[in-house]
Amino acid sequence: MTGLTEDDIALAGEYALGALPPEERAALSRRAETDPAFAAEVAAWETALDPLNAELPPVAPPPAAWRGLEKRLFPTAERPASPWRWLAAASGLSAAVLAAVLWLGQPAPPRPEALWISDMASEDGSVRVAALYDAARGEMRVSMGGAGPGANRDFELWLLGPDGGAVSLGLLPRDGQAAMAIPEGLRGAMAAATLAITDEPEGGAPGGVATGPVIATAVLRRI
Amino acid sequence: MTDETEELSALLARVALRDRRAFQRLYDAAAPRLFAICLRMLKDRSEAEDALQEVFVRIWHNAGRYRPERGNAMAWLNTVARNHAIDRLRSARRGALGIEVAEVVADPGPGPEASAISRSETRRIEDCMSTLMPDRAEAVRLAYLDGASYLELSERYAIPLNTLRSWLRRSLLQLRRCLTP
Repeated sequence: MTGLTEDDIALAGEYALGALPPEERAALSRRAETDPAFAAEVAAWETALDPLNAELPPVAPPPAAWRGLEKRLFPTAERPASPWRWLAAASGLSAAVLAAVLWLGQPAPPRPEALWISDMASEDGSVRVAALYDAARGEMRVSMGGAGPGANRDFELWLLGPDGGAVSLGLLPRDGQAAMAIPEGLRGAMAAATLAITDEPEGGAPGGVATGPVIATAVLRRI
Repeated sequence: MTDETEELSALLARVALRDRRAFQRLYDAAAPRLFAICLRMLKDRSEAEDALQEVFVRIWHNAGRYRPERGNAMAWLNTVARNHAIDRLRSARRGALGIEVAEVVADPGPGPEASAISRSETRRIEDCMSTLMPDRAEAVRLAYLDGASYLELSERYAIPLNTLRSWLRRSLLQLRRCLTP
């Protein structure tokens, strides 16, 4: 059972209603972050009370609201001005450190035959996937650990581009190891790329567009 | 799941993958409802616009936290909007606007597609609300839709804070029992 008392259940309802004083509200919000049973109870209340919102007729926001939002989230200044910055952001290293590593490690242009690895794990740790990308062969070797996909489901591997698009790299094996050939056209984008795994219907995302929940994401790191 | 719920859920998954086109489609689909929530709570157009942007910034960053097994996607989106509007209402710099200034927002009338929620579900909550005493049902609506706090409600109904709170608690539990199949 959840281990929640009657009082906890009522508190979760009061939190979902939103009328509590700010301090108490903040305390319950922190509790929901660390107490999954309480968080689930809050979510159950939120779902139960949600039909009340049907009393509000939708109101179209002015077009300026979307433009303002785009400007806040995707300012053009933040576009990768130099590949260093983008690489740095994707690999989680500072641009200076990354530049130093690359300069010290390889005076010549980056060797194309580099190996890249990535450890991906779902939030609850039940799904673990190790990936090794061999740039010389254009091949991704993956090794499945932990739980596989459910019945009639497949895990699909995605490459996330810097512009926000996701390109499918194919389906992951249900267990064991597999080698996945990376299409010629994508090989240039693999360095320090961000990968993601989603849970899709059997056979993969219909129309090449991800539909399922994201199981894990991780960055390919050079070894 | 309805088709719309399924579509919103799929869009959220793609937004979690940083798909900007999916984000724009999610905005087109959900912004009118989330804007209605912000307007009703904040009762100020320009603040509601600002709040709406902030709500979508949070959606962009937190889409991966949505768990389909815990509830439908529209309810999750509505909750992000309500929580943000309530935080604004409770922030210290904002004076009490008074909860009686409701309905400043023009009502264009609900269209046939007004709600993601099925007709039967809407009727169910109306039925359940009607089992509450009228003033308690009104207090629940004022808290839920207008963002009224316990303090404001206790002043409005001229009853002590603790009494008001136990009123609302009982009303909520009664509602939940009625709503839970």
